[in-house]
Amino acid sequence: MITFNRRRALGALSLAATLGMTFMAAPASAQKKEVVGVAIPAATHSFTAGIVFWANEAKKELEKANPNVQVIVKTAANASEQANQLQDLVTVNKITTLVVFPFESAALTKPVAQVKAKGIYVTVVDRGLTDTAAQDAYVSGDNTAFGKIPAEYIAKTLNGKGNIVALRGIPTTLDNERMDAFNAVLKNHPDIKLLDAKHANWNRDDAFKVTQDFLTRFKQIDAIWAADDDMAVGVLKAIEQAKRKDIKLVFGGAGAKGAIKTLMDGNDPLIQANVSYSPKFMYDAIKLTTEARVKGQKLPATTIIPSVLITKQNAKEFYFPNSPF
Amino acid sequence: MSLAVAFQKLSKNFGPVRVLHEVSFELAPGRVTGLLGENGAGKSTLMKILSGYETATEGGFAIDGRPQRFTSSREAEREGVVLIHQEFNLADDLSIAQNIFLGHERRKGWLLDDRAMNAAAQDVLRQVGLDAAPTTRVRELIVAEKQLVEIAKALSRKARLLVMDEPTATLTPTETERLFALIAQLRAQGVSIIYISHKLDEVERITDEVVVMRDGRFITRRPTAELSRHDMANLMVGRELSDLFPPKAPAPAAPPLLQVRGFTVPGWAQDVSFEVRPGEILGFAGLVGAGRTELFEGLLGLRPASGGEVAVAGRTLRLRNPRDAADEGITYLSEDRKGKGLHVNFGLRQNLTLMNLKRYARPVLSPTREHAALVQAVEDFGIRTGNLQQKASALSGGNQQKLALARVLQPQPRVVVLDEPTRGVDVGAKRDIYFLIQRLVQTGQAVIVISSELVELIGLCHRVAVMRAGHLTATLEDDMLTEENLIAHATGTR
Amino acid sequence: MPQEPVDTSVGRAADHAPAHAGGTSSSAPTRATALWGKLHGLGPVLGLVLLCVAGTLLNPDFATLDNTLNVLQRTAFIGIIAVGMCFVIISGGIDLSVGSMAALIAGCVIMVMNAAGASMGAGPAVVALGMLVALLLGALFGLAHGLLITKGRIEPFIVTLGTLGIFRAYLTYFADGGALTLDNALADLYSPVYYGSLLGVPFPVWVLAAVAVAGGFILNRTAYGRYVQAIGSNEQVARYAAVDVDRVKITTYMLLGLCVGIATLLYVPRLGSASPTTGLLWELEAIASVIVGGTALKGGAGSISGTVVGAILLSVISNILNLTSIISVYLNAAVQGFVIIIVAFLQRGRR
Repeated sequence: MITFNRRRALGALSLAATLGMTFMAAPASAQKKEVVGVAIPAATHSFTAGIVFWANEAKKELEKANPNVQVIVKTAANASEQANQLQDLVTVNKITTLVVFPFESAALTKPVAQVKAKGIYVTVVDRGLTDTAAQDAYVSGDNTAFGKIPAEYIAKTLNGKGNIVALRGIPTTLDNERMDAFNAVLKNHPDIKLLDAKHANWNRDDAFKVTQDFLTRFKQIDAIWAADDDMAVGVLKAIEQAKRKDIKLVFGGAGAKGAIKTLMDGNDPLIQANVSYSPKFMYDAIKLTTEARVKGQKLPATTIIPSVLITKQNAKEFYFPNSPF
Repeated sequence: MSLAVAFQKLSKNFGPVRVLHEVSFELAPGRVTGLLGENGAGKSTLMKILSGYETATEGGFAIDGRPQRFTSSREAEREGVVLIHQEFNLADDLSIAQNIFLGHERRKGWLLDDRAMNAAAQDVLRQVGLDAAPTTRVRELIVAEKQLVEIAKALSRKARLLVMDEPTATLTPTETERLFALIAQLRAQGVSIIYISHKLDEVERITDEVVVMRDGRFITRRPTAELSRHDMANLMVGRELSDLFPPKAPAPAAPPLLQVRGFTVPGWAQDVSFEVRPGEILGFAGLVGAGRTELFEGLLGLRPASGGEVAVAGRTLRLRNPRDAADEGITYLSEDRKGKGLHVNFGLRQNLTLMNLKRYARPVLSPTREHAALVQAVEDFGIRTGNLQQKASALSGGNQQKLALARVLQPQPRVVVLDEPTRGVDVGAKRDIYFLIQRLVQTGQAVIVISSELVELIGLCHRVAVMRAGHLTATLEDDMLTEENLIAHATGTR
Repeated sequence: MPQEPVDTSVGRAADHAPAHAGGTSSSAPTRATALWGKLHGLGPVLGLVLLCVAGTLLNPDFATLDNTLNVLQRTAFIGIIAVGMCFVIISGGIDLSVGSMAALIAGCVIMVMNAAGASMGAGPAVVALGMLVALLLGALFGLAHGLLITKGRIEPFIVTLGTLGIFRAYLTYFADGGALTLDNALADLYSPVYYGSLLGVPFPVWVLAAVAVAGGFILNRTAYGRYVQAIGSNEQVARYAAVDVDRVKITTYMLLGLCVGIATLLYVPRLGSASPTTGLLWELEAIASVIVGGTALKGGAGSISGTVVGAILLSVISNILNLTSIISVYLNAAVQGFVIIIVAFLQRGRR
């Protein structure tokens, strides 16, 4: 460690010399600096693209507002790449704070714990680690509300009676939490029958196929919980192709740009509401953490960014035309 | 040590076709027996049954009086019966030693004992006279060296009965002499040897007795001393054979059809110049590794060439690949039948027409016309096959060679280069091929024959070019065209 | 289905050939041999029939015309690509990039159409332009693959593994990580290409049939098709037999690119969008269709009709799983895996 520090000091020295600064000033300002590492998944679909967008928005604002704050954003294509990036952030970039959106819960618990063991402040976003001792703070969207709100809305719209089918994402704890919350609400509405729920992997094409087969199999469906705005696109196309008139409601989720626009414009009678689960919580997490650190404060152990019902009336508040999501 | 074999009414069917008919004869222990027969007479099949690669349909054989029925070559090897294949069964990417011990690896505990295997391999390599490190990859060997590796592999199996199928087909005279010495040595040690060859002079020289087969039947078994070469040939064919070579018609005086000037294939051929006229047969002699095959592969764009000029009918051209060459009327028959000459997993028809497919596609392929061409080729080239629908791999070696020859003549080339055209071909078929070449030149085609059989070159060619270590050292004709002169120029003693 | 005269199909002819060097003896009567030959050539068909019987027993709605057309329609993309893949695999090559290629082509088509629609207004000409772009890009990408593989002498596995990443990354870049969406007016104009039908059969099914028939014809009845088989069987022998190996190989990759282009021009109107998840794992489905259909991964021989049956078989499996609830949704992939292995077992060749 000592040799390492010396090498760094030498680097700073020569840098200061070339810039013509005094010897004392440069190290003094470097000590105060807050280096925030942000580790997030790469933009492989629109939700993660939104995560990347909002992380960079936060970086821009924070670095502009405070010259002593440096934000380093790293995107990873898989869990092991992310683990490597965490090591790099610690040893190469010398971060003082980490905000991480773990690729997978279990696989990244150990790597994150190692970061924390070095005395770095850790905020975990969205996907909880399997051991909460590895984090200082946890910021997440509200997965329970993500399942609960659509269930309540569908129940209300159908007046507590009807047949519904549901689409699920990629099999994960996140998906299970949402499905469980959805089922919990349906228990209170015995006349609403959930005919089946199948995985369509948050993918438009898979949702199209699964819905086609649901439509073949069930002759009367009143509402479809598509559980994601991407999947809702495939669901709507399949219904259109089959020319089925029995479906009254398709409920997506997450409040993607296109879906909110449809809602605002009232283009599609099947789309009447949405539930927010915006990647903007990435922005919130970075901002909250950094501001707290600069002031020397701590975040509460858990911060939930609430998911709320979006309807035509409040849709404008959730429309961000610049975000890719 | 020695081992006696008795075949008892052995028959073999391939599907509906009976290829061996109640073959019965005995082999005395500790002797060298020549097994003679035309291509497709059933020699190879009989030997495959003896060594466990095939099983008899009816009847069988006894070894030292005990009836045996091998279901795998391993079982046969356990009894000391080892077959050296006519076609190589070597894994190209393994080393010589790894090939020799393939399936019989020596171990030290759980690990392979490479050191012991390399040492033992070195030992058998010395016996067969192959000067190569046991760690050399087989891919890097030339055909003749691969043949020696096959023999070395058989030796390492402690054979009591060794079956050699055309072992000298790819060997040079020197290597052949060394093999004969080895055979004599093995015989002295009491190893029985069955020797299959179309080279009757060799059979005459090294065998104690000969067994002749024809059309899947046993014909006769006689002491070699009682027979002349001519008798052997007649017994094989079953009729009186006239001259092996057609009379040489003088090549007409005409401007050269193919001219090559200062051609160089780096590492193989330096500054080679020659020409061939229409109606002429030009031979290429030389030791293995003299660069004959590589020169022509370079000419056809199959190897990078660094200099020289090629002109066809007076026009200088650049041949980038065999397609260009074929378009200019030059085709090439490779010496490596299995690796470069034939698609063994293809049907006969698909093999025959591949080089000239455009003729049968306008633009839709016509299987009927292709089939007619196959029927014609089977007739013209005397290809023996029970069934025209089968794969090329089902043909005997000699018949595969005839099919490969038919393939390169399909496009009706102006110049055809035949690399070892009669390798593995029986005497009757050899004669057919010689007469066929004669017919080709009579219609004004030019033929280039690369061969290791000096008799063939002398009997067939108008002129013979001799190559040594990449250089064309002499071109012999008329009275100068003798075995002594060819050997002298090929080895550099003159 | 494409014509395949029994005697031209190399795979089947193989079953009639007597055992040769190194093989085990075959003393069985020919009739039984021939029957067995036909039987295991029919492995994929047999598998498909069994699946369909199972599907009908599990849910009577399976055997309806609507469901059948749904399955065929969604098979179209993979099926068309698999026909092209069949040529590449028979020639001894492989292409891992087709899914990413489809995604990138879809993205480019949408961008071009949106731009053209903005400048010249939404009309049939814009749709035609989009379709043309799809075909051109497919052929162009195929040409690039072919050149890198033949002239650049790089293994096809590596070339296409590289482009697999490149194509998808560029789509993600163009889409800003999100989705590229076709303008509404254009989407409405274009949608009949996927949703429309002729004589009650959707267009994509017609196109699949046409591509399959053309593919079977090219493979079995043209000189080019014979060359493809010759190269896959033994490239060296083919080269010595004056086959222009490089040109045939390049053409093969271009043909596959063209098939991807055709599949994409049918795909775009389905959802009117392309996203980084478009075409995900299509390469594996296409390769699996070819292999399940009886083509050897090492090349040399294969069958187009088998390939199409293989593609249908794969989508029937997921269709049946969607139509029933007897198996935990977590095991869907396992069921597919089992069926693929069983069908491969049914059609395996004799050693």
